[in-house]
Amino acid sequence: MSDSTVLTDEEIVERVRSDDRELFAVLMDRYTDKLLRYANHLVHDEGGAQHIVQDAFINAYIHLHGFDVQKKFSSWLYRIVHNEAMNVVKKYKKEIPLIDDFDMKDDYSLEEEFEQKEIQAQVETCLSALPLLYSEPLSLYYLDDKSYEEISTILRIPMGTVATRIRRAKKIIKKICQKN
Amino acid sequence: MSEELKNISAVVMEKISHNKIKMRSKIYFVVGSISTFVGLVGSVVLSVFLVGFIRFSIRTHRPMGGYRFDRMMELFPWWAPILILGSFVLGIWLLRMYDFSFKKNFKLIAGGFIVAIIIGGFIIDTLGLMTFLARRGPIRGLMKPYIQQDMPQDEFRRMRN
Repeated sequence: MSDSTVLTDEEIVERVRSDDRELFAVLMDRYTDKLLRYANHLVHDEGGAQHIVQDAFINAYIHLHGFDVQKKFSSWLYRIVHNEAMNVVKKYKKEIPLIDDFDMKDDYSLEEEFEQKEIQAQVETCLSALPLLYSEPLSLYYLDDKSYEEISTILRIPMGTVATRIRRAKKIIKKICQKN
Repeated sequence: MSEELKNISAVVMEKISHNKIKMRSKIYFVVGSISTFVGLVGSVVLSVFLVGFIRFSIRTHRPMGGYRFDRMMELFPWWAPILILGSFVLGIWLLRMYDFSFKKNFKLIAGGFIVAIIIGGFIIDTLGLMTFLARRGPIRGLMKPYIQQDMPQDEFRRMRN
């Protein structure tokens, strides 16, 4: 495990598959925080998110031989979390309500361009008010720094649809934030 | 989050080290991939055959007048469209497992799949495969009601020769 920091995710997967099981902990350390935030965004429940991420890691480990190392491990892992979260959402039929009252900063200008880093905090706040259909790709793009291609793989939708949803999400989010 | 991180990691690693969870073998996934492919091919072959069979059964009765129509309705293989529907559903479900299914417009892929099967069914019947099967194939018994009694004379004569 000494040189694990220089290994790519896919190289670690190869090693875990060929009997270095302990290295799986490195993958978990790399992704737990990100996945917890992602899952929490989907289910709006920290405890639930923790269960989702834990189950996702267990599932990932069980199905590790099914992962194609030519592809990105992170996208595969996010896909598992997405599936786990969707199961929870469907099970409890949890609707994400549209929140009308945000606490926005006074100096926040909606005329500004939606530049990735500058608006990250605002996006996070406003995201909770968006329907999941739009908030998920937007959160993956801005908060998890995923490319359109990766989002397409995670959500299993065409790249054009990813672009459309992100574009619409931005419009909706502007409207929602303008109200306040 | 760091405490949660420790918890999740510890719980999962504990399960792994105590063999409470085990990796599925590579062969499991290879068999899965082969089964998916075989299932997809099987669904296509079955659907094409059944479309050809339905066309054949209609063609051999050529609805001319009340008698022929009644006879056709009586002998029509109603189970075939139901089976085709099931086969379409299975085929489309299996198609979704492939990565290309979400990279393009899936409605278009599914529509293309169905149209290709219908065209395939028409082609195999037009090329005479259904007639051949009715005469010699292993499913001759299945085709029997559609030949001899109601088949137009020229078609029947052609089949006999």
